[in-house]
Amino acid sequence: MTNDVIKEAVAKQQSGDRKLAADNSILGKVMTFNIGDQVYGIEIQYIIEIISIPHITKVPHVPNYIKGIINVRSKVVPIVDIRTRFGKPEIPYTSHTCIITLNFNDVTVGIIVDSVADVEDIHTGDISATPENKNVNTNEFIQYMIRGEGDNTKLILDVAKLLDEQEV
Amino acid sequence: MAKIEPGMEAMLDMYFYETNSLLEQLDEILLRTETANAFESDDITEIFRIMHTIKGSSAMMGFDNLSVLAHKAEDMFFIIREKPDVITDVSFVYDLVFQVSDSYKAQIEAIQNNINGEYEKTDFEELVGKLLKARDQLAKEANGEAPDTAAGGNGSGSAAAPAGSGKVSVRVFFEEGCQMENLRAFLLINTIREECSFLEFSPADVETNAESSKEIVEHGFVITFSEKDDKNYILKLIESALNVQSYEIISDSETAASAPAAEAPKAELPPEPKADVKLEKPAEAPKPAPAPKPAPAPKPSNDKAVENAQAAVAVANANAAGGAQKQNLISVNLAKLDALHDIVGEIITTESMVISNPDLEGLELESFNKAARDLKKLTSELQDTVMSIRMVPLAGVFQKMNRIVRDMRKKLNKDVEFVMEGEDTEVDKSIVDSLQDPLMHLVRNCMDHGIEENVEDRLYAGKPEKGTLKLTAQNSSGEVVITVSDDGAGIDPDKIMDKARRMGLLVKPESEYSEKEIQNLILLPGFSTNEQVTEFSGRGVGMDVVKANIEKCNGTIIVDSKKGVGTNFIIKIPLTLAIIDGMEVTVGDLVFTVPISTIRESFKVETSQILRDTGGNEMIMIRGVCYPILRMHEKFGIETDVVNLEDGILLLVETDNKSVCIFADKLIGEQQVVVKPFPKYLSRYNIKGEGLSGCTIMGDGSISLIIDTNTLIG
Repeated sequence: MTNDVIKEAVAKQQSGDRKLAADNSILGKVMTFNIGDQVYGIEIQYIIEIISIPHITKVPHVPNYIKGIINVRSKVVPIVDIRTRFGKPEIPYTSHTCIITLNFNDVTVGIIVDSVADVEDIHTGDISATPENKNVNTNEFIQYMIRGEGDNTKLILDVAKLLDEQEV
Repeated sequence: MAKIEPGMEAMLDMYFYETNSLLEQLDEILLRTETANAFESDDITEIFRIMHTIKGSSAMMGFDNLSVLAHKAEDMFFIIREKPDVITDVSFVYDLVFQVSDSYKAQIEAIQNNINGEYEKTDFEELVGKLLKARDQLAKEANGEAPDTAAGGNGSGSAAAPAGSGKVSVRVFFEEGCQMENLRAFLLINTIREECSFLEFSPADVETNAESSKEIVEHGFVITFSEKDDKNYILKLIESALNVQSYEIISDSETAASAPAAEAPKAELPPEPKADVKLEKPAEAPKPAPAPKPAPAPKPSNDKAVENAQAAVAVANANAAGGAQKQNLISVNLAKLDALHDIVGEIITTESMVISNPDLEGLELESFNKAARDLKKLTSELQDTVMSIRMVPLAGVFQKMNRIVRDMRKKLNKDVEFVMEGEDTEVDKSIVDSLQDPLMHLVRNCMDHGIEENVEDRLYAGKPEKGTLKLTAQNSSGEVVITVSDDGAGIDPDKIMDKARRMGLLVKPESEYSEKEIQNLILLPGFSTNEQVTEFSGRGVGMDVVKANIEKCNGTIIVDSKKGVGTNFIIKIPLTLAIIDGMEVTVGDLVFTVPISTIRESFKVETSQILRDTGGNEMIMIRGVCYPILRMHEKFGIETDVVNLEDGILLLVETDNKSVCIFADKLIGEQQVVVKPFPKYLSRYNIKGEGLSGCTIMGDGSISLIIDTNTLIG
């Protein structure tokens, strides 16, 4: 989803116009997954598939969050551990741990997540912008949030930033 | 800025492909005929057809400037086609057509590089003006010489065919499955509109109603027209229009009148142009009988006509044969071939997983084994076929060099003959693409620096007046060897040395440089001996770019030159980028592939053989030469139990006269591997600079990293 769509959705809710705020149209779908206690989401148009963890071949001279490369049907896909990327402690892989392969602008990357949760609709009324606080480590990769019932807020990852980040 | 018409984007790729290949064809014809210094009638027809097709498709895509340009060139060739001997100044015509071809390529490139569908629209007014002038002049000459023959084009009315007022109805059928018949019909109407004084067609709403294409497919497209001056020209236009399969004349009120018209020129002496022969067609194939395409051989009215008719039929047949040949080829997106290649690789991997499945161990499986063998045979055949699909001949690239030589020959005023050998040699498509730039640089260098400026110098050296530039290609043991050679002045080692000294490019005492080494100095970055920067070469970036480009596809380049005799550039490139012979070694739980071509030997050592320098670096003495030892587990930060040099294995590897012994845990064995680049995402990290060139997927599906000896040592 583009940032404009998100701004518009947020603006609608804050406009004070009841009719606009009640707009609950569906903007798309996200797949949600867990890392620790937090629920994250990725819009499904970026997702290719979910696979279990195969043997990962380590690659030298890369940051520690890049776990290596794997062979997905004769394609070589690099693997990023989201936990380590977000500065969380590593935990051993379990039977729930899996790899979600993503594609953005022809860049394919697999990310390791603790477990996959669900696929759900994005409603205009549930979208919130991220707080303007750049001190939070994970914030730079969060594009927006979806409010759920109770405290159940999902952080939607900015795939473009996650895959396209310019750091050498 | 002009915009590409909306809705046409989808067809752009096809248009580019088609137009570019037509232009290449055009260049090829021109280059071939220019040496002969005369147009064959087949070639003229072919050029006419090319221009016509380009005109049509450009108009369809909405590139009106291109369409107009092609139209004018087509007009000119129409006259030439009718009377080939009107050309008095052949080179003038060639220059003009080459200019057209170049302008086309430039404009198409501009369109291809468009941003958001916008592109810089070039105005071809000047060139169009030149073409118009040339055409008028040719027409005048044609008329002047034989005032009673058809002048063609927009001829001034001295045509042999009298301007009839009768209406002709023609039913046109388009090629099956060509789609958008209504638009094609509309284009056809636009093509002939200028030539008609009256024009009617059915269905009439082709421009606006897409449904009408259905009717056209079923019943044909009926055009009723009366000509301005030459009915046959219009019929010819219809016949040669894009995607027209056939047409039939359903009514021709002039049939009766045309018979005398056909006889009229007979009385006159000048040879009858083809148009007159064709004119009889309606007379021979009267109203109800549908005239099959192409024209049925008309009954001879006199001997001349027979000859002409036969020639016409021969051309038609040749064209038909050419057409059929072309349909044997299809163009496929390279990405699809890559995908196919991947799938085949996958099948082969899966096959070995099935056939050597651990579950089958110890079982007696006679028929299974037989089936497995058959499968293996088939899959390897499949792999060979897929590889061969990607192979394309070098002829296309060579042809482009021919063109460059031609242009430079004129500009530099050097008389040079261009010789090609082995242009049928096939190499992987990706290699062909990356060869073009280096070859262009080399050819330009040979033309500019190689061949002597003064003919006297050549004669003095006992060489023929005409220089020779030779481009050859041949297969030899898994490599393609391409040489670019000239018989020019050669490389002067003293000059090179002098220059290298001034540029500070020398790394060892001058006396230690062999002649070969000196010659290869010109491949260093920043080296250019030509004092003057010319249009073609001499910016000092050429040769090292050549070297870098060739090394990119794992090739090598060698300079072999003799002062006063000539220069050879020898390029060696592996047949495909994709496959190398590798030695598999393990380090910890990782598998590495070392290219066998770099391995000199592998051996076990004893601790007593190891030397240490003051910095603690390990070295080993082999046959009196001391080599440094590089521990892979340290270099790549891998945990392994094998840290004692006695327990592992040493591989002596060598590239570019640099050697090192690499230390690994264990040798696994030799294997042919398909090289895959690292994924895009990892390209931001400096993996390639640290001794790894790519990765490969092994038989069991696991990944092995390929060692790049060059960067490993460096």
